[in-house]
Amino acid sequence: MVKGWSKSFGLLMLVMLLVLTACSGGSNSNTPANEGEQSTEKPGNEGDKGAGAATTLSIMWWGPDARHEATKKALDIYTKQNSNVTFKPEFMAWDAFWQKLPTLAASKSITDVLQMDAAYLQEYVSRGQLEDLSDIDLTGIVDPTVISNLQIDGKLYGIPLSQNAQGLAFNKPELEQYGIPLPHKDWTYDEFFQWARDARAKLPEGKYPIGDTTTWDSYNYYQTSMGKPAVMSDGGKTFTLDKELFMTFYQTYEEFRKAKIVPPAEKAAAFLENDPQADPMASGVVMTRGATTGSVSALEQLMPGKVGVVNLPVGPSGGGWAQSTIFLSVSANSKNKDEAKKFLRWFITDKEAGQALGLSRGIPINPDIYKELEPTLENKDKLGKELYDLSLDKALPFYPPAAGFSEWVDTYKKEMEAVTFGQQSIEDAFNKLEKMGQELASKAGSK
Amino acid sequence: MKTETAIPSLQATKPTKPRQKQKGTHHVAGYLFISPWLIGFLLLTLWPIAQSFYLSFTEYSLLEDPVWTGADNYTKIFASDTTFTKSLSVTFMFVLFSVPLKLFFSLMVALALNKSIRGMNLYRTAIYFPSLIGGSIAVAALWRNMFGIDGYINQVLAWFGVEGVGWISNPDTSLGTLILLNTWQFGSTMVIFLAGLKQVPQELYESASVDGAGKVRKFISITLPMLSPVMFFNLVLGIIGSFQTFTSAFIITKGGPINSTYMYAMFLYEKAFKHYQMGYASALAWILLTIVALLTIINFMASKYWVFYESDGGKTK
Repeated sequence: MVKGWSKSFGLLMLVMLLVLTACSGGSNSNTPANEGEQSTEKPGNEGDKGAGAATTLSIMWWGPDARHEATKKALDIYTKQNSNVTFKPEFMAWDAFWQKLPTLAASKSITDVLQMDAAYLQEYVSRGQLEDLSDIDLTGIVDPTVISNLQIDGKLYGIPLSQNAQGLAFNKPELEQYGIPLPHKDWTYDEFFQWARDARAKLPEGKYPIGDTTTWDSYNYYQTSMGKPAVMSDGGKTFTLDKELFMTFYQTYEEFRKAKIVPPAEKAAAFLENDPQADPMASGVVMTRGATTGSVSALEQLMPGKVGVVNLPVGPSGGGWAQSTIFLSVSANSKNKDEAKKFLRWFITDKEAGQALGLSRGIPINPDIYKELEPTLENKDKLGKELYDLSLDKALPFYPPAAGFSEWVDTYKKEMEAVTFGQQSIEDAFNKLEKMGQELASKAGSK
Repeated sequence: MKTETAIPSLQATKPTKPRQKQKGTHHVAGYLFISPWLIGFLLLTLWPIAQSFYLSFTEYSLLEDPVWTGADNYTKIFASDTTFTKSLSVTFMFVLFSVPLKLFFSLMVALALNKSIRGMNLYRTAIYFPSLIGGSIAVAALWRNMFGIDGYINQVLAWFGVEGVGWISNPDTSLGTLILLNTWQFGSTMVIFLAGLKQVPQELYESASVDGAGKVRKFISITLPMLSPVMFFNLVLGIIGSFQTFTSAFIITKGGPINSTYMYAMFLYEKAFKHYQMGYASALAWILLTIVALLTIINFMASKYWVFYESDGGKTK
């Protein structure tokens, strides 16, 4: 009895095991076959305007709620116009996006279409994650110089969506209230520093004219505006941290910390931009803050009617940047590349989509779309345009961190934080960053 | 159990040779029974572990093939990586404070809940309830709001005229807030203590009372020794768990300010998934495993001096 029972049960288990593996094996072999069919059918479909095989495009982007809603609306319009294409959208905040993308990249499962930022573009291109989009015809839609500026080794990896610029936002009514002159276009770094010192004298305790700085990019603005090369150039093979400028820049801020021109480190570490309570400017603590064309509207909504903008301080070479920084890219591993490229072109050309998207990603790159939107612009949108116009003539290129420097960027912030907390001298921080940077550059050079 | 009893009966009826064969098929059946788990374990646990050991000797950026670099990762970690030393010391500090605090706190709560009062079950549920969401992101986010520079803690302090510091944004206090959070997540430890307390035979207390022992004496001479195996269990688990702390540091402080809460697990995560250095991160993981394993062995060796097992005839070996 016992023997028979266990034997048959064993057999049953074996059968079940086989069935289970057969099942999963079957479904595994099914999927690629399907996808293979789709991709072989694709070229034929192109001719008859994509009325063919049903395709699901996965798409991922970051941004605020307004952008999510606008983008979903645009996707619906596309599905209405192209009934064979549906979308699988994923949208999240900036931080979450850049935490998720590396894991998707590792498993080769990046969405068909994804939003890309200039700060990360090089990194992902160098890792072969993005598809070459040079064959998308953008004549008459995007300025050719914009395209050639964006090319990496002669290839285009992201379709620019908007014009963007970096500047400074300031609290207009409060500055006026305390009799502080408003910042003017093309102010120099010396004027900016002096303005901060003068403003300190007029502001009450607990309020600060400007914020402290611990990130590499704000120093890079200074270094490049003074005519020196960018910290990272030549795809990360050349590393330049000018000691003299570095010391001058951070000694100035050290003086500012002592004179309470910038908030104390402990307070600065608790700031959270665009948070109603913790935003340095919206909370009324700091009078100025960095802002971009794309992000200034969020600040304006926190303090309506109070935000003024000016371009970043300039040096002999200029200052700040004004160009496209948000793109749509296609994954190199996508099975629906042609459909995805078609969608990308549509995204910046379709009038209806333009209306739905509005300025949710900054000033639309396509001048025709912008012209249509212009009459209906709200104040918060005009502010972004104003910032862009102010920055344009003095703008330097946008310098993203080079591929392989992500850890250096993190280290920069930590070392400079240690300086702001008084735990390390500026010179020590410089030496560490210089050493690490040169090591990375020589590593990039040897590849 | 069943198969064991089955074998003798087969033995009686059949000669030696088929018995051997029979034994074999029994094994097969056994393995088939556990195969869902076994396959999962081999494929999803053991294989990745072996892979990570291999990767720890390579340079691997995830998207390009791994390049064998010998012991380079380990040499670099031990010889020149200051972040490694920093994160390890942060983690040690965290373990050193949070484990004893949590043990003490959960034991106190367990003692308080081990009384026979009306509605005790309700209290127990109420106190255990927050632990259901204990390690979650929501709690970490809540903690951030409580200990922020304008958080609830500072608002309450302000009523008393005390100006609070930025608990999370100050490098001197940030680790402390994380230790506090870990201590507050006492639920499961407390439940294990409570179960242990229920196991202590009442006769011991009764006879101690007859001998005139006071409450403190009873606690030290009866409760603590009887509870020591449970204490040991909680200690070992607590140490292992604390070494792997990640969520709170990741959500609340992001490891900052200036690495003051840069836990080892977070360092490892960032190396792997932010900077794509899988080989280096694997080496870090193996170092952590070794450290935790060593500590656990030391713990087991030390346990014979203080852990009391009734089944050993009442000797602490």
